[in-house]
Amino acid sequence: MTGESAFRGSEKIIAKGDFFLWIDSLRDKFLLIGPVKQGPHASFGRITSSEDLHMEYDTTMLPPGKLYLFQPKEELLRFSNRSSTWGKGKPPLTEEVLPEMRQQVIIGIHPCDANAVAYLDLTFLGDLKDPYYEARRKKTFIIALNCAQIGPNCFCSSVGAGPFLHGESGCDMLLTDMGEYYLVETKTAWAGDLFKGPSRDAGAKDLSRKAEIENALLRSFTKTVNIKGLDKLFSENIDHPVWRRTADKKCLSCSNCVMVCPTCFCYNVVDEISIDMKTGTRHRQWDACQDEKFAAVHGGNFRQRREARLRQFVTHKLDQTWQYGRCGTVGCGRCITWCPTCIDLTEIAREIQSS
Amino acid sequence: MVSDMHRPDRDCKGDTILMKNPLLPFKARITGVRIDTDDVRTLTLRLKTHLDMKPGQFNMIGYPGVGEAPISASSINGKGEIQHTIRAVGRVTGFISSLNEGSEIFIRGPYGKGWPMDAAEGNDLLIVAGGVGIAPLRPVIHEVIKKRGAFGKVTVIYGVRDEKNAVYIDELEEWKDIHLLVTADEATGGGRWKYGTGSVLTSIDNARIVPAKTSVFMCGPEIMMRLAGNKLLMKGILASRLYVSLERRMKCGIGHCGHCQHNGRFVCKEGPVFPYKEMRGLPDGLL
Repeated sequence: MTGESAFRGSEKIIAKGDFFLWIDSLRDKFLLIGPVKQGPHASFGRITSSEDLHMEYDTTMLPPGKLYLFQPKEELLRFSNRSSTWGKGKPPLTEEVLPEMRQQVIIGIHPCDANAVAYLDLTFLGDLKDPYYEARRKKTFIIALNCAQIGPNCFCSSVGAGPFLHGESGCDMLLTDMGEYYLVETKTAWAGDLFKGPSRDAGAKDLSRKAEIENALLRSFTKTVNIKGLDKLFSENIDHPVWRRTADKKCLSCSNCVMVCPTCFCYNVVDEISIDMKTGTRHRQWDACQDEKFAAVHGGNFRQRREARLRQFVTHKLDQTWQYGRCGTVGCGRCITWCPTCIDLTEIAREIQSS
Repeated sequence: MVSDMHRPDRDCKGDTILMKNPLLPFKARITGVRIDTDDVRTLTLRLKTHLDMKPGQFNMIGYPGVGEAPISASSINGKGEIQHTIRAVGRVTGFISSLNEGSEIFIRGPYGKGWPMDAAEGNDLLIVAGGVGIAPLRPVIHEVIKKRGAFGKVTVIYGVRDEKNAVYIDELEEWKDIHLLVTADEATGGGRWKYGTGSVLTSIDNARIVPAKTSVFMCGPEIMMRLAGNKLLMKGILASRLYVSLERRMKCGIGHCGHCQHNGRFVCKEGPVFPYKEMRGLPDGLL
């Protein structure tokens, strides 16, 4: 796992072909997961060979960190009935269903998504750890890949989450595409142990080339948001007309934004009993603050109105830094891409800031 | 603030992992059921291991196949027994209300930050409760009775809708050396109601307190807490000494599922008890 600050990483240069040979060599010990082409799009999925990898992808619909570490739906507990009816007599036997899995390596996560993994770690690996997330996290080797292109909805540079990954958390290894070869930076002891292949140490020229690539990318963002002074701005402007207008005229509460967001972590817990009443299950699944009943209690609903729910999402991403001391968004832009009515939270921010 | 966790009950497989899975509940036996009103009852639970629970904390109470609900402890006797006062308002609380003495129930906890008893010691204490909101405050009253000398003047303001919806009414007599201002919005039932009519707000007007040295603990409908809180602040209660207990939808109780978030605060783990001034006027709340 990450966060081993005592480890001194290395920077190596390896030809792409040799890098992919090393990836293939991991097959007997790891499940390989990486970006694959799907028509004009890309998505993260299991691969059997590095040949399937589409490393030049721009973005995916579902974020790889959330998909493979958090899981859209999973069983938490299993119940076995021990009496003739459910709920009377001996209560059901209750057992936890912890993930049993092989190690997996996720190849080619972009800096936004790697930062999102670090953010999910803050939620699920805090004072109280979620053992399901933890079990998967411990067995997941993450190879991040610095971006080579900027998408139309990307605004990671505005929140310090891209286009290049800085800082130590969120990945075990970091790649930068240098054309014919990769610059490979090992960030954890695990990466130090695992990475093998014909490589040379990266020199000053390589590192300055890396900086040039990053600077060129930083100049090509078409979407930015000024987060300075944004803290509390939204929560102090709860009656700004942009909320009501966007909610009434555009938002459908479809929750696409939440589903595709790499930092969204809310989940619902559902109990079910089988028809024959012999077994039962408690499972959890991704939930969304956009859902009407998300904040309902008996006798009321703290976010009954659509504008309140819309504001909750945008504010959680851009405004509530007091929650974990950092911005809730990594600027991946997926919520903007996948909103069916083209709501753009950076535009909402701009409108509130300029008024 | 999270207290040390429990051990999974022996009937739960995987207990070699011990204390590792905060989503795995353990069993408690219902040793007593007291019907308080048409839809409220108080369950006494006996636990196999000691639960280090503080007034104001809650447990996730539930049953396999049905679900869980966050319920504050309404009594903590420190001898392996706790009480939870439950109003049947939905699927989970409705099911729990169908269980009898002798049945087993599943709980996880204790969770949350409780009432700041230490900060309140040495001062006068005013407790303001609306309806079944008196439940999370009852352990405070029990603590006060146990350590009466540590507190100055103690006043309990308790407002109910009508006498049918008053809980713990028979116990109020036992709370010695505590000033009681109990009111019902309407007293309908043929003169059996021996307390006044009015509201929590009228009681606050009538209460004889020294605001500058009084700590206040409040629990009830959020609107009530706002109106009462503002009135008390106007009377001179120090903002740093006024505390509220909030209710939110909770699925995990441990700051993960996200449902209880209130302007970025997790009500389950940073609350449910909060200083009023930190929660006042926040978006989507009623305070």
